[in-house]
Amino acid sequence: MTAITVIDEPENPLRRAPLVEGTNDFTSVTNIVARVVENKTPKGWYLMFGAAIALLLNLGAMIGYLIFTGIGVWGNNSPVGWGWPIVNFVFWIGIGHAGTLISAILFLFRQKWRTSINRASEAMTIFAVMAAGIFPAIHVGRIWVIWWVFPLPNQMALWPNFKSPLLWDVFAVSTYFTVSLLFWFVGLVPDLATFRDRAAKAGRTVAARVYGAFSLGWHGSNRHWIHYEKAYLILAALSTPLVLSVHSIVSFDFAVSIVPGWHTTIFPPYFVAGAIFSGFGMVLTLMIPARQWLGLQELVTLNHLDNIAKILLLTGTMVGYAYGMEFFIAWYSGSEYEKFCFTNRAFGPYWWAYWIMVSCNVISPQFFWFRSLRRNPMFLFVVSIFVNIGMWFERFVITVSSLNRDFLPSSWGYFSPTIIDILTYAGSFGLFFTFFLLFCRFMPIIAISEVKGVMPQANPHHGHDDHGHGHTAAHTH
Amino acid sequence: MTATMTVPPIQMVAPHVVIRVKDGDLRTSQMALLGVGAILLAVSLGLGMTSHDPARFYFSYLTGYMGVLGITLGALFFTMVQHITRAGWSVGVRRIAEHVTAAIPVMALLYLPIAIGGFDHLYGHWANAEIVAGQPNYDAIIAGKSSYLNKQFFFVRAGLYFAIWIGLSMFFRRTSLKQDETGDPALSLRMSRIAAPGLLLFALSTTFAAFDWIMSLDPHWFSTMFGICYFAGGFMSFLAFVALLARWITRQGYLREVITTEHFHDIGKLMFAFMVFWTYTNFSQYMLIWYANLPEETTWFAHRKEGGWSSVGTILVFGHFLVPFVLLMSRHIKRNAITLSLGAAFLLVIHWIDMQYLVLPNYHGGHGTEHAAHVVDPATLSAAGHPSFGHDLDLWLHNINLHDGLCYIGMLCLVAGITLMFVRKHNLVPLRDPRLAETLSFQNI
Repeated sequence: MTAITVIDEPENPLRRAPLVEGTNDFTSVTNIVARVVENKTPKGWYLMFGAAIALLLNLGAMIGYLIFTGIGVWGNNSPVGWGWPIVNFVFWIGIGHAGTLISAILFLFRQKWRTSINRASEAMTIFAVMAAGIFPAIHVGRIWVIWWVFPLPNQMALWPNFKSPLLWDVFAVSTYFTVSLLFWFVGLVPDLATFRDRAAKAGRTVAARVYGAFSLGWHGSNRHWIHYEKAYLILAALSTPLVLSVHSIVSFDFAVSIVPGWHTTIFPPYFVAGAIFSGFGMVLTLMIPARQWLGLQELVTLNHLDNIAKILLLTGTMVGYAYGMEFFIAWYSGSEYEKFCFTNRAFGPYWWAYWIMVSCNVISPQFFWFRSLRRNPMFLFVVSIFVNIGMWFERFVITVSSLNRDFLPSSWGYFSPTIIDILTYAGSFGLFFTFFLLFCRFMPIIAISEVKGVMPQANPHHGHDDHGHGHTAAHTH
Repeated sequence: MTATMTVPPIQMVAPHVVIRVKDGDLRTSQMALLGVGAILLAVSLGLGMTSHDPARFYFSYLTGYMGVLGITLGALFFTMVQHITRAGWSVGVRRIAEHVTAAIPVMALLYLPIAIGGFDHLYGHWANAEIVAGQPNYDAIIAGKSSYLNKQFFFVRAGLYFAIWIGLSMFFRRTSLKQDETGDPALSLRMSRIAAPGLLLFALSTTFAAFDWIMSLDPHWFSTMFGICYFAGGFMSFLAFVALLARWITRQGYLREVITTEHFHDIGKLMFAFMVFWTYTNFSQYMLIWYANLPEETTWFAHRKEGGWSSVGTILVFGHFLVPFVLLMSRHIKRNAITLSLGAAFLLVIHWIDMQYLVLPNYHGGHGTEHAAHVVDPATLSAAGHPSFGHDLDLWLHNINLHDGLCYIGMLCLVAGITLMFVRKHNLVPLRDPRLAETLSFQNI
């Protein structure tokens, strides 16, 4: 294995920075990604996987205890009827936004740098949506009648309330999950075929069989590629509105009500911006260690991290704009309830949660005005943790600080989580990381064929006078 | 190494590109646009201000003004976004956008009739409200926000908005023109760096301008989304405006290699996207207010069910979303010169109707206005059953007047004329932009 080159040059507008660094060609890119799976499993992986499995078992135990006992085991009370479960649901759904944004919206915007991070981000999306889906499901209490959320004809003529955004959520999230899974799988097919062929060549028959089954007989013919590209474009176009609609509908869960602090018209785009912010935060949390430990620095370059940091700065500031607008309009509206609600958020019993939220979500990304900090992986990793914390607290502040002060002071209360709340939430990380670690171990974590497509070698004019497309840069090492 | 190099002049990259408008060419069109714009506005101002009901005129003027201001601000936004994203496809289009922003100082001048003559007619509801407790018509809500909504601070803010917009537009335009001469790639870097805080300032100033100039017409109403709704419509309309203008310029024989079908296709895609984004923001705003049904919020839409305005609501659902959604979805329509231009022109008309919907109902039976006599009494409406679309349409057409059209078209012509003036005066493309070569060879796959 050759030494890894990390390029950190000042930006030069005269040429586009190369997306793949070092002296890589098609073969070496395949090797970099495939060796992650083909090398002997590192000890660290077993350690992390063990921890994840332990947390996952704990999740199972917590859910079992909850079902057998009832949702009284949580801290939910009156007036705070929506506690951590909804907070965790929105938290995970939000994280599930980066993957499809990267693979669909950035694709339509021709952001070619997305190719090296989209695969892992899409996997993250799918696992995050799975973690999210658990919480509303177990929150219904009588989980054995969960099928009532689906509008199935039944002998009781019992239908869900079609006017309720909670039902829209069922449709929105399940649609999003299905389309994201399809999109992810379609993108995986050529790479799985590569893995199949390599496994067959190395005599690993079982692996070759399994990869072969999922690669749907792909052998890279022209016809296959034409269909593949079309399917990819169509799925990207279908996913784009979904990225916006899912979190908009999640925001409707709150905003259609008349609860001060929930009912405000900016909620849909504000939630979408927050979701993208948290999703990219989690992408950094996962990708920075991954690129380091798995030796992917030439594919996930400093420029990639720099771009993600810029998106964090943008979306964090958008979220800050929304916080500001809420405050301003609460004052401007002249509504005493609105004013009370926001004063209560910032200075009431949950002031600490509010200021954790503001510090993590609005202040911490402001460091990314500086290029040197955007290109410092260690610093980025630390901020990404703050982003994850801040976005959990945002949902906590919205949910709890609005509910704990009802219109009548006789209905005021305080929410404290129980140990079951905390362990269930921790358990959801177990689910997420179990799947993500399995993905890292067995799947192509970087979209090999797409990365090759953005390399200068893939340009038909490669080696000819290419009118300064910027690809020339790749020759200048 | 390369960072110290300059960008080669376009003559070396693409010798076939015509870089200047021939002397005297397009002059007639420019003069016609400026002349027609000035005459329409002058006639409208003269007739309107001296009419028996100047208040009605100022509402027309504000409708046109906010519509066209949104387009010029859209141009500023477009310019900054191209820099911050280091866009390669749009270098040629960006030069036109830069020239559209050159009209912002003129928009500042055109604000004067609102500031001087129109202020009391438009904003009298809060400016002349009784905000001293204990007085007979004491308005507690307006009193509560009088530290924001008062005449002095209102004009200080207006000055600030224009300072931000003019400052940013001058910086980007001049730096880009300077690069034509020096070919210094560092200028591109500088513009992309300034674009970041520029966009932040832009977002805040545009939001509060929308709050001040439109939302405060009904000072009891509020919506956190309002600034974004205004921006979305304005940016979509800028894309429609630039699609038409660029098409016309290429028809005159210029920019043909720089703004090709590929670039029009991209402009069409963005126009489509922001048309949908407008729908997204407006739907969210409407649906949330309808659903929660709080009187302090529904009042704004309630007034838009009177005076025939509900027909306009329906027109916007179809004209600002359903019809363009179905048509502009097609790749063929976006790549065809005639159909894209028709779509763009249609959206410019719809944008004008959208501005009417935001502004005019505040006059026609708007909140606490003295002009309620023009309005059909809602009681008679409900007695006669739910009014039909046709009935409302008649009422709307009866309620709008010539000035609504004259002001919008007049200002649109002025902005187009000013843009053309600068197009003629300067290089047609950013000659030595480092990404010009990408623009010239750009293709959608």
